[in-house]
Amino acid sequence: MNFLITRPHHDPATIYLSVWSQEVINVAHNKGYTVIDIKNDKVTKAELTSRIKKLNPRFLMLNGHGSKKAIGGHDNKIIIEAGGNEKLLHSRITYAVSCKAGKTLGPKCTNKITNTAFIGYDDDFVFINDKKHISRPLQDKKAKPFMEASNHVAISLLKGHTATESSQRSKDMFKKSSQKLLSSKSDPDSLQAAKYLWWNMMHQVCLGDGKAIV
Amino acid sequence: MANDKHILNDEEIRKLVTARLSVLSSDTMISIGSEGSFSRDELISRVEEGDEIGNKIAEIEMAWLRSFKQDL
Repeated sequence: MNFLITRPHHDPATIYLSVWSQEVINVAHNKGYTVIDIKNDKVTKAELTSRIKKLNPRFLMLNGHGSKKAIGGHDNKIIIEAGGNEKLLHSRITYAVSCKAGKTLGPKCTNKITNTAFIGYDDDFVFINDKKHISRPLQDKKAKPFMEASNHVAISLLKGHTATESSQRSKDMFKKSSQKLLSSKSDPDSLQAAKYLWWNMMHQVCLGDGKAIV
Repeated sequence: MANDKHILNDEEIRKLVTARLSVLSSDTMISIGSEGSFSRDELISRVEEGDEIGNKIAEIEMAWLRSFKQDL
């Protein structure tokens, strides 16, 4: 089974998502998936199209900046777009770690298409990080609950859960982390972090065939 | 969105949002979608100016506060 992931790496947000996605790649390898890892300046529409058509991955994890209609790749250039090439996502499960794409692109690529699911966010994905760790994202404890809860969608899918279950498991993790931070008195940032974890949970959407599995 | 502008025009709400941001540590950055990453002081300025980022921060704050009201 093929699993495709895009990892643009050109600004703080994409660097964090790219580095923390290694956790998902490790799980995929351990579960026996063939990982198609499109990184850095290779994250282009042409490369994505070519790899999907050639290797037919069942599951895609698309990291990158987004809008209601599109997801970006390297330097935020569009790689997938509603009304353009969204058919590439048909008959697949997509997890878009990309702002707002769950608003228009998600519904468009799943509407009346069987065995297709899209998990994403219908508003901005927000996370906190520590600027002292910008060159070492994996050591950033402030970013950790955001990245882990997000990755839990993909990890759950790779472990055989349905799209609906995987989204719910991720939301549960966002909620648990938020509640834990709410009760913390030692960290002055904890209340803000709790709020943004809650925001991401509220705006994660699972569209299309919720029973779809990888 | 009109409602958000109304919220930002309310000086008390703006003060509430900036007061909450002011407790963030100076090393903390908040990444907001494709808009970029912002420091505490940058966000406070954005909220005070009432620009798009400031509006978004206020929207999240008010949604968060409303969620507590709904849970009561």
